[in-house]
Amino acid sequence: MSAVVETRRHDANARSLDVIVALVRRSLLRVRRLPSAFIPSLIMPVFQLVTFSGAFGAAVRFLGIDPMNWYMPLNAIQGASFGALGVSFGLLNDMETGFFDRVLMAPARRSIIVFGSYAAAIARSVVPVTFVILVSFLGGLHTPGGPVAIAMVIMASVMVALSACGLALGLTLRLRNLGAATLTQFAIFFGIFLSTSQVPLSEMSGWLQACARVNPMTNILRFARQGFLGDITWAQTWGGLVAMVALLAASTIFALTGLRRFER
Amino acid sequence: MSIATTVAHSAQLTKRSVRGRLRQPAALAPAFIFPLFFAALGSASFNRLARDPYFSENIASSFLDYAVAGAVVQGVLFGATSAAGDLATDIEQGFFERLLASPISRVSIVLGRLAASMVVGVSQVVVFISLFVAFGARVTSGAVGVIGLIVSGALLGLAMAGLMAAIAIKSGSPEVVQGSFPLVFVLLFLSSAFFPRHYMTGWYRTVADWNPMSHIVEGMQGFMNHELNVDQFVKAWLVPLGISIVGIAFALRSLNRRLAAS
Repeated sequence: MSAVVETRRHDANARSLDVIVALVRRSLLRVRRLPSAFIPSLIMPVFQLVTFSGAFGAAVRFLGIDPMNWYMPLNAIQGASFGALGVSFGLLNDMETGFFDRVLMAPARRSIIVFGSYAAAIARSVVPVTFVILVSFLGGLHTPGGPVAIAMVIMASVMVALSACGLALGLTLRLRNLGAATLTQFAIFFGIFLSTSQVPLSEMSGWLQACARVNPMTNILRFARQGFLGDITWAQTWGGLVAMVALLAASTIFALTGLRRFER
Repeated sequence: MSIATTVAHSAQLTKRSVRGRLRQPAALAPAFIFPLFFAALGSASFNRLARDPYFSENIASSFLDYAVAGAVVQGVLFGATSAAGDLATDIEQGFFERLLASPISRVSIVLGRLAASMVVGVSQVVVFISLFVAFGARVTSGAVGVIGLIVSGALLGLAMAGLMAAIAIKSGSPEVVQGSFPLVFVLLFLSSAFFPRHYMTGWYRTVADWNPMSHIVEGMQGFMNHELNVDQFVKAWLVPLGISIVGIAFALRSLNRRLAAS
């Protein structure tokens, strides 16, 4: 009896994995078929890296910080988030064409739709992050924290991208229109810029400092930047980890409840 | 067709365009929200830069005073692109063809849109300056400086709308017009709109030095932060006026080609 249960569980897991792989392949196929929708998420973070470090560089250079080292993690996170947003556009397209109804009929757990989208978001976000890192090395990036610094910025970017994807899925499943993607873009935009995106907390004044102090993105940026500004320490790491896990958990719950509401 | 008739037709089409803008607050909102947000962000992030002796003596007394001109330029560019997008929508949806079938001055089809862009530009400058003054900014050059800023905003709106209208008429596609906005965005970021040129280095500084947008913004910043001088009028009025002439010429050439093809 237990062998039968074990076999069924194994089959269900295999089917779930198949659905995840299919969703990732479909998302990447969309990138290949509609590159014009993906290319901006590749170019914009690099453009912003160049312009931020070129224009606002003096603001951090005064503090003895290399502008490329300061802005690269910000633009990597931003690029990953906007890259992951494409999953929301894909979902909306699938809803309009009826493909999403066929996915719902797949003999797999419902949550796989969310986790499959997450897997697609990882695939889509790693490309802009890699591009930003490569360009920043060409622009003179140095890593006092060693290779771990690169791993940490990739981790922060992917975690924020997944949170953005969860938020976008939750909103798309509730609103069922393009407004969901716009709202997510606004959330990412304001979430990132109302943090230590431009200058350290100590350099800010007034309302922005108050916002940045409570914004979880400040901790995430501190986590991602530390290996480019000096040594990696636990004191600068744990806050970022907590913020990333909390954001991802909240957005995943939002996406899963959105899916449940969609089916009702 | 007489000049008086062309002016009358342009005025009617300007009225229509402005009404169209007002009826789409969602399309108009980014032209107000983003520049205000960036100015607020800049003044809260970079205000300590104002303690640098060079900044306080030669550029502005606070970063908010510095950021006003950049916000005005950004807003006007957003607005002008949207106006050109509306012209492309007219072409795509057939309203342009209906205008051609009516006894209306051909030139007024373009001039009406461009004038509307100037009207929106003027209202943006007035709203921005009022808000920034309420939050503590001050126009050092006084009332004449405010007029200087308003005229500059109108001329910049005309210049950008002219260039964008050329693209709109040629393509007939609002997507193409919106797609060309990133180029405007690049022009803006590679200038001194958000940060003084003095603090830029390397190739970025060279690009900003050559970028006409830097000079327009600095002319407007001159009205905000210094006593009146001729240099401000040359930069803030004559540079956009020159671009306007080129932009209108391109737009009218695109119109002639479209008329010849139809």
